[in-house]
Amino acid sequence: MKMFSVAHKTAFVVDHCPYMAESSRQQVECDVLTKSRAQGLIPLAPVSKSLWTCAVECSMEYCRILYDVYPLHKLINYIVSDSEFHILNTWRQEAQSTHELMSALAAVGPPNPREDPECCSILHGLVAAVESLCQLTELQHEQRTVLMDTAEMVANRGRIICLTNAKSDTHVRMLEDCIQETLLEQNKLAAGSDRLMAIQQCELVLVHIFPLGEDTLVSDRPKKEISPLLTSEVHSVRAGRHLATKLNILVQQHFDLASTTITNIPMKEEQHANTSANYDVELLHHKDAHLEFFKSGDLHMAGSTSRDSGLKETVTLKWCTPRTNSIELHYCTGAYRISPTDVNSRPSSCLTNFLLNGRSVLLEQPRKSGSKVISHMLSSHGGEIFLHVLNSTRSTLEDPPSISEGCGGRVTDYRITDFGEFMRENRLTPVAEASPNPAGKFPADRAKAQLERYTRYWPMIISQTTIFNMQAVVPLANLIVKEALSEEDVLTCQKTVYNLVDMERKNDPLPISTVGSRGKGPKRDEQYRIMWNELETLVKTHAGGSERHQRVLDCIVACRSKPPEEEERKKRGRKREEREERPEKNGNNKEVDDKSWQDSERLKGVLEKEEPESEVIKDSPDSPEPLNKKPRLATEEVQPSEKTKGPVSLLALWTNRITVANSRKHQEFAGRGAAVNNKTELYQHLKDDNGMDVHENGKASR
Amino acid sequence: MPTVVVMDVSLSMTRPVSQEGYEEFQRKNLAVHGLTMLFEHMAANYRLEFTSLVAFSSLWELLVPFTRDYNTLQEALSNLEDYDKTCIESALGGVSNIVQQEWGSSCPCQVVLVTDGSLGIGKGSLRQSLQTVKQRADDKKFPLPFPFPTKMFILCVANAEELQMTDAMDNLEEMLHLSGGDGQIFTMDGPLCLKSVQAMFGRLIDQAYSPFHAVLHCGNLSSDVQVFPRPEPVVVDDEVDPMPRVVNTDLEIVGFIEIGDISSPPVTSRHLVLPIAVNKEVDDVGTGAAEEPEEEVSASQIAGKSPNFCVLLHGSLKVEGMVALVQLGPEWYGMLYSQADSKKKSNLMMSLFEPGPEPLPWLGKVLQLGPISEAAENPYGEDDSKSPFPVQPQIKRSYAQNVTVWIKASGLQTDVQKILRNARKLPEKTQTFYKELNRLRKAALAFGFRELLKGVGDLLERECTLLPDSAHPDAAFQLSHAAKQLKLASAGDSQYAAFDQNIAPMHTDFSS
Repeated sequence: MKMFSVAHKTAFVVDHCPYMAESSRQQVECDVLTKSRAQGLIPLAPVSKSLWTCAVECSMEYCRILYDVYPLHKLINYIVSDSEFHILNTWRQEAQSTHELMSALAAVGPPNPREDPECCSILHGLVAAVESLCQLTELQHEQRTVLMDTAEMVANRGRIICLTNAKSDTHVRMLEDCIQETLLEQNKLAAGSDRLMAIQQCELVLVHIFPLGEDTLVSDRPKKEISPLLTSEVHSVRAGRHLATKLNILVQQHFDLASTTITNIPMKEEQHANTSANYDVELLHHKDAHLEFFKSGDLHMAGSTSRDSGLKETVTLKWCTPRTNSIELHYCTGAYRISPTDVNSRPSSCLTNFLLNGRSVLLEQPRKSGSKVISHMLSSHGGEIFLHVLNSTRSTLEDPPSISEGCGGRVTDYRITDFGEFMRENRLTPVAEASPNPAGKFPADRAKAQLERYTRYWPMIISQTTIFNMQAVVPLANLIVKEALSEEDVLTCQKTVYNLVDMERKNDPLPISTVGSRGKGPKRDEQYRIMWNELETLVKTHAGGSERHQRVLDCIVACRSKPPEEEERKKRGRKREEREERPEKNGNNKEVDDKSWQDSERLKGVLEKEEPESEVIKDSPDSPEPLNKKPRLATEEVQPSEKTKGPVSLLALWTNRITVANSRKHQEFAGRGAAVNNKTELYQHLKDDNGMDVHENGKASR
Repeated sequence: MPTVVVMDVSLSMTRPVSQEGYEEFQRKNLAVHGLTMLFEHMAANYRLEFTSLVAFSSLWELLVPFTRDYNTLQEALSNLEDYDKTCIESALGGVSNIVQQEWGSSCPCQVVLVTDGSLGIGKGSLRQSLQTVKQRADDKKFPLPFPFPTKMFILCVANAEELQMTDAMDNLEEMLHLSGGDGQIFTMDGPLCLKSVQAMFGRLIDQAYSPFHAVLHCGNLSSDVQVFPRPEPVVVDDEVDPMPRVVNTDLEIVGFIEIGDISSPPVTSRHLVLPIAVNKEVDDVGTGAAEEPEEEVSASQIAGKSPNFCVLLHGSLKVEGMVALVQLGPEWYGMLYSQADSKKKSNLMMSLFEPGPEPLPWLGKVLQLGPISEAAENPYGEDDSKSPFPVQPQIKRSYAQNVTVWIKASGLQTDVQKILRNARKLPEKTQTFYKELNRLRKAALAFGFRELLKGVGDLLERECTLLPDSAHPDAAFQLSHAAKQLKLASAGDSQYAAFDQNIAPMHTDFSS
């Protein structure tokens, strides 16, 4: 349905002339006596509704269904006509509710039978309806404003439903002509006005209501075109039940509705609480919920039945008692609001209350073959019940490659839990439109901005990070990502930093990842250096945010241990690749420092995991001569104590001495002698153009 | 979106193509060459697509049912035989059956019809089919439009000029129009040769089978991804907003929502989100297709070993039972979630919502969804016991607000009985009695049903006379008070018949 189809605007014009006060002659027994009390009582005489009452309650039912299924953008303007017209509501969205209309109807009251029938006419109302259709709705106004230059794309169409008691076919024709005339008149008027819109298409649905037991004076007529602007159809119906059925059919036609009957609903009997019987409940909803059935021609297989002599069709779906309350994400291709046909019957209210309490019900499509196909689900969201259409055909996405087979699929130490925590912190919540709007940004934009801040430094795998593996850093890490920090926050961050300083002084171990690295990994002071670097990186990305953020960074820079430049260089020369040198030299240039730190650190993470040796191979010629440049014994390489200037353990001293002594007692294995970083290429001669043999090669290196 | 390749194997396809070279080609050879190229492309870049192959002349035959095995398709192509005349209508009927049997009637499908533009003669020819489209009985309807959404690509091994000389082009255009208008007719430019057939299939590939690459962003974290199948442009309202909307190549995560809160939302389509290694692709371009398989393995192994945001996101979405709300374009959103198939494999999936500012009523407007950190109090509660969703509509639906409907006599009777039942239990049920009474009064006033007000007034008076001696004295007072008020209202006196006024319980000395 287009946004501005005829269904966008419906004007109800209900006859309020004296003859509508006539009885419909359909009697309702409202004094239903129970057996025990029946003796000696004369039951109250049955009451009967007037034509007016019938018209009003059936039109209210039309509105009720419409508002249930389309709470927005399908608008009703209710007009009552007697010696003049009374417009009971406006096109405005807030005026669209049955309560509003009922209140206005009560104020109008039933028609006055003593009023002069000569001055009363439905025409007043019809003219008012055409005028009203020319008025802009909020949505039309909004769209015209949005479209600006192409505002003419916003169409103005509408429908007039007229409930009246017409005198004859000629009378009907007179009414049609009158509407046609008014249309032309109003369109002329609208052409010269900004506040009005010309009507492009108007559909008149005239319902002639007559009392039970009388012959109709007006004949039914299917839709016909009166002019390019106006179509008209006439329905001649008896008041009471027949009118209700007619309007129910009309609301379905007018708003593309269809009917589903939920069958086999188990329900406790009112009288016998411990037995239960199965009930059926009929629901109305948009017909697209049956699209699959219509297309596949499956309607009859799906248990569709005709009722009311073929006027109305309903699709039967079977209730499946919910087993669990487990939350599942169904593949759902549509969700449509429902309205029960018989809203206050006991089965209907039992079903709707069950759903409103938060349970969902799967619905099964009955099939002759006996195979069970779940095709729909009923579920409520925020007090509205929806019929969800579930996909029941084969998926074109079946058997996809698993995520573990694709990019990044072989990495096993993702920070899944941390990211889960991150997602919880970045959950969304509805913000009232009236609430203050800092910086003129929508809440969703602020949500994205928060994601940006939270991810400025966010290592994806555990072995890439130290600080996020440390409980001690948590308070600072949680606070620094905030857009604005309070004094208290700054204090907490500073405390965190002092705490880390304290840890370093006490030489507490750090959760540095040792994955892939040989031995015990880096030394403690090296660990702290990595940790401080990482922390600085994290805080640096936020330092520009505010003066308080900057103060946290200043605190870190001031507190972190910075070994003298010289010592640092020596250490690094042995351990780290040349690239690392640059940031140290350009220490003042924060950006370069920051970036290359990240690069090298990332590289290190990757290299350590895959090819631990490569970092040494890349050793540069101008770094200070490390001990292991000389052909050395394997043991030295492995021993971290040798590589650093830290205190040497007794064991290390002893082992060292023994190895040195032993090494003098035998000739070194040729391969080991030639090894660079404890690694020797085998069958080197095959590559060598000179064809030097292994022996020579060994000697040459000595 | 599955593909059906419909290949014309009528005799006219065996017409030789005038060639300058030595080798003589038939149109069929050119068609097969083009299809081979298409299948090769799909095998390499679009291999999750299900494709089937149908050959037709006056009859049709399903040569290969839907498969991702492109070798089988290639093989079938090389074994095509030649048959009699072209009858497109029966072939389309076959396509309709094949697709519906496999995928039902709502799954969008692409049809690639390869023909030479000679559309048959006499009965069963496209011309004759189209001429009689409107005069068919219900059981012999022309198969177009298909019940499922269709993209129809018609590839003619012929020049446009050649087709325009007869009414062939007109007929093909009308057929495309009948199929729903989504698709295109491709013809060959220049002489009919291998090169021009390649160019034609190349255009098809560009339009329908080029992989959709995008970058998934979550703040500063991002990943290059392929979205499969390609998301199709969507037209929201052809009148007000006729421009088709296309999915951005930058997919931006807005935030996260619990699965229970998003609660099985309706989606227009589902797509796999597959992380891709961009440098690998660069490699592919650089070294060409001649790359050794061994190197390829190692390249994909490296890609497998470098951390990827998609994998992290997928893992956490799965563990936490959440979805990520993702923005696809202006006022267009979707969700990312982990989808597991039966074999314990799972994947990152993206479902697209209907375009618009408020795709799901229970979330409200997406632009109005903000970070929880802004709320004064965590709307999820400190222990995740609460949720800000679903958003409640301003007006309750009829079934949630105890409306009064008397269209069926039973509705009215039930309401009257409810009042009488409570009347007999006065004064304990005073509150309920008046609540039900006022509900009935309001409805009767709105419906202009004054006769009922009087009738119920009478009933209450009668109840009053029937009160047993043991009854509480208050009961009689309340009943006659209520009866009097109803009768006053039934007289239409505006003082007593105001809709928003309620009958209040009578204040007696007994009612404390």
